Amino acid sequence: MKKLWLNRIAGICFIAAGMLSVPSISAETGTALKMDTLRVQPYADAKAAGTLSKNESLEILTKKGAWLQVKTKQSTGWVRLLSVKRTSNNSDSFKGAIDVASGRAGTGKVVSTTGIRGLSAEELKVAQFNESEIKKMESYTTTQEDAKQFANAGGLKASKIAYLKGAK
Amino acid sequence: MNKWLLSLLLNSILISSSQALDLGKALEDAVKEKVQSNQSANNTEHNETNKLQDNSSPSIHWKNPSKDEEIAIGRQVTGSLLGAAPLVKDDALQTYVNKVGRWVASQSERADLPWKFGVIESADLNAFAAPGGYVLITKGLYQKLENESQLAGVLGHEIAHVVKKHQLKVMQKQALLSYGAGLLSDQLGEGELTKKAIGTGAEISARNLDKNAEFEADRMGMILAARAGYDVYGLPEILQTMGQINHNDDRVTLLFKTHPLPDERLTKMSESAGSQLDKLTPGKTLENRLYKLN
Repeated sequence: MKKLWLNRIAGICFIAAGMLSVPSISAETGTALKMDTLRVQPYADAKAAGTLSKNESLEILTKKGAWLQVKTKQSTGWVRLLSVKRTSNNSDSFKGAIDVASGRAGTGKVVSTTGIRGLSAEELKVAQFNESEIKKMESYTTTQEDAKQFANAGGLKASKIAYLKGAK
Repeated sequence: MNKWLLSLLLNSILISSSQALDLGKALEDAVKEKVQSNQSANNTEHNETNKLQDNSSPSIHWKNPSKDEEIAIGRQVTGSLLGAAPLVKDDALQTYVNKVGRWVASQSERADLPWKFGVIESADLNAFAAPGGYVLITKGLYQKLENESQLAGVLGHEIAHVVKKHQLKVMQKQALLSYGAGLLSDQLGEGELTKKAIGTGAEISARNLDKNAEFEADRMGMILAARAGYDVYGLPEILQTMGQINHNDDRVTLLFKTHPLPDERLTKMSESAGSQLDKLTPGKTLENRLYKLN
């Protein structure tokens, strides 16, 4: 979760800067994507701590693996992260401060100011086949073996996992 | 590859980057149209009809394209996309994306395809898949990525479209229906037939827009990334990011036109996953290895 660790980094930066008080960093908020049970611990079989109703607003306190600790009006507990949609509540200026603090400044802004054209339906309609570009793309083709070595270098291990079935 | 095919293929992308196809239904429709055509034309123009069939059937066996034909179609589609937005001029970036993509694709049922990946010069947030294993991601979307597992998730979604032949099936349907349209109209020149075929194809496909193909690609993309050893939540995380972008932002116009909105996709993922992901061994996110664009 980007913002959670950004918040942490931002906090560390502020402290490192010798500020006496940590500014009030508002917690990240979200809404429940579906009805769910809040648990006292981040496990499916942990005791229930309350319930979430669909679209209920909540505050995200922390993340642990696939679980989020959230606070609603009634209760605090853990819920699967897939049950929550994050909502942005950071002001632009605050976000800017975090971007600078974490070395991510400009990743979003450069795009919108350099005028790199977007891909509109109209542009696609009139697009001409570009042989040299497709050849270039093909020149980057990686072999299965090279990709495997790349995966090993990153400590990635393949495993057999069944696809999920569609929801009813 | 002639202009007709090119236009048809491009049209397919415009309508939707993925729609499922009921091939049987398409054939049925095409046959129905042929019957109507024969009735109205009193079967007096057999020679002309045969000629039209030839014109409207490029050297692709649309009913059942071979793997090579599938790759040729994908190459045509992708080459045209690259005509609209060229590759980002960064060899290291392109090589990196190919390694991640190839590794994820290797976990799929179509590991044998010559998978190719590319990052294109566009501020849009989008990714595209074309038959035969061609996958493109825009620079705008790439710059939103926070780690390698998110890239794996995005590419996994596109790989799933190729594995399930979502785009190919839409094109097959359009080809069949255009063929039917060709039979309906007599005395049409090649240019007019082209217009007719594409117009009809677009209408039909717009009606058959199928969000389920997107949801399926989301479910599969997550798991493909997890199979490759990545954190299974990379794809939902980038969808969370996209969900926070203003819908009026030009950079998401095409994406939101051709895909269900992020909230709906996240909800579907959540419902499909239930408790099934609880027991997965946690995968890697590899934020440090994500290639940083200048």
